[in-house]
Amino acid sequence: MHRRVLSFLLLLIFMSQQVGMAAMLNDSVSPAKAELSSLRWRVSKDAVEGTNKLRLVIDTTGPVKINGTLSGNSGTQLIVDVNDGVVGKIGDSVALDGDIADKVIFIRKNTTSSQIIVNLSNAIGESDYKIFTLPGDSSSNKSFRVVIDINKPVPKVVYNFTAGLKDKVITIDPGHGGSDSGAIGPNKTQEKTITLAVAQNVKTLLERAGAKVLMTRQTDVDVFGPNASGADELQARSNVANNNKADVFVSIHINAFSNPTVGGTATYYYKNSSYSAMLAQNIQDNLIKSGGLMDRGVYAAGFYVLKHTDMPAVLAELGFISNPNEERSLMLPQTQLQMAQGIVQGLEDFFAQAAKKGGGS
Amino acid sequence: MVTRRILFALALMLLMGFIGGCAEKNTAEPLVPTAPAQTDQQQAVVPNSKDNPSPSVSATMSVTVYSATKDAMNLVAEHYVIPKNTHPAQSAIELLVAGTKNTDLVSVMPAGTKLRHISIKDKIAYVDFSDNLVKNNNGGSASEILLVAAIVDTLTEFNDIQKVQIMVEGKKIDTISGHMDIGEPLGRSEKIIKK
Repeated sequence: MHRRVLSFLLLLIFMSQQVGMAAMLNDSVSPAKAELSSLRWRVSKDAVEGTNKLRLVIDTTGPVKINGTLSGNSGTQLIVDVNDGVVGKIGDSVALDGDIADKVIFIRKNTTSSQIIVNLSNAIGESDYKIFTLPGDSSSNKSFRVVIDINKPVPKVVYNFTAGLKDKVITIDPGHGGSDSGAIGPNKTQEKTITLAVAQNVKTLLERAGAKVLMTRQTDVDVFGPNASGADELQARSNVANNNKADVFVSIHINAFSNPTVGGTATYYYKNSSYSAMLAQNIQDNLIKSGGLMDRGVYAAGFYVLKHTDMPAVLAELGFISNPNEERSLMLPQTQLQMAQGIVQGLEDFFAQAAKKGGGS
Repeated sequence: MVTRRILFALALMLLMGFIGGCAEKNTAEPLVPTAPAQTDQQQAVVPNSKDNPSPSVSATMSVTVYSATKDAMNLVAEHYVIPKNTHPAQSAIELLVAGTKNTDLVSVMPAGTKLRHISIKDKIAYVDFSDNLVKNNNGGSASEILLVAAIVDTLTEFNDIQKVQIMVEGKKIDTISGHMDIGEPLGRSEKIIKK
């Protein structure tokens, strides 16, 4: 009796191994060439950076090998060579909305390979696209896929800045204020107090260097009005720079996070021109030099005041008010002055670099 | 006696092989046991669940939820296996609201925030939270970035959601703490995810 059960179990184990091996063999012997079967696409705003991205997903009936290149001189075509994949029922072309790309064309090359050509609306750079394949998964009804992600390229705006701070129009935005205290530290320090103190130092230093400074607020007030909507308040701040045709916009903030050990300085920009990233890097470098906090880096972010200002703009997060050490330090007039000096030196370095890049004298 | 023991061992091997085979499809991340109790555990087919498990475990589904790293720099995906239901996107946000149990990560949701409602129309998810989302956030842009990205990335895990509109008390909001512009539907952010 036992023996019969035993042999049955052994048989089961043996059989299950056979099935497994057969499945493995099937995987390695590739049958007919994979076909490109359908295209899905969407343009959406990156949740963090706030700029548009195009995602193209091409379903294939099996695994394919891909290689992407930007077409030589113009950079307005992205060519994806597909090996072991032929054009199937996907058709010849699909029209897109023209925000990032106008059209996708599928070219039959030979019996084993094809090409996907993306006609771009504006030239992109090597860092603006990413191409990868995803495996199929029958259990979740997903086929093999080729994914093409394309960022909207940074607009090619040219500013003719001169070097030096003299006669520059600079908008300084002390973050929060009035009914909005901003973040609050463990010792009850309010963000709006520190941002205003640093901004006033920046104003003094810039005016001494001959710049014209426009402050979005000079006292502890809301810029639009108490308890306004987020957009009204932030647009009012952006308008101070836009309506006065400021050369640059600098918003000053203090960060916060739930973990009190997190600290450091970070500077943010929006991808509206290459100058915003340049301004952010110059201000960050000098904030680290003179403020001495940890360097968290420079990042693109979809911050309202950066998206809605017409000139190179940055938002500097000087430190973390949620970190007791940084809260204590940021309350000191000495630190507030050092941070202001960092911002002013960053502005001076930016105008020097921008003058070299974009003409001017 | 000896045969019985061998028999038992063989049976165990078989069983283990079977479970191993089933688990293969799952991700390498540790699976966290069911978090909040599901009120209605319908045996419906969920077309947009990430892993449609084999028939032997068809009563569960896997959802992916994002939490922050302790340095406030990135999001990390956590995979939960929960009883299968007809509203996986709602379940994913409920798990996000409940917060991570992993002590190496940090929950992104401000304390006391509740999910009021979620609906999906034309591939846009409209996710409506209680006003604690705004009132209890700590005011830092680092927190705001991670919160917005975690909500959007958790929901865009589902094939039928391409964009997310964040709402509070039934209304669209412009910003959570005065930095990010969230007045319109947002798409997935890949860069912030730690891979």
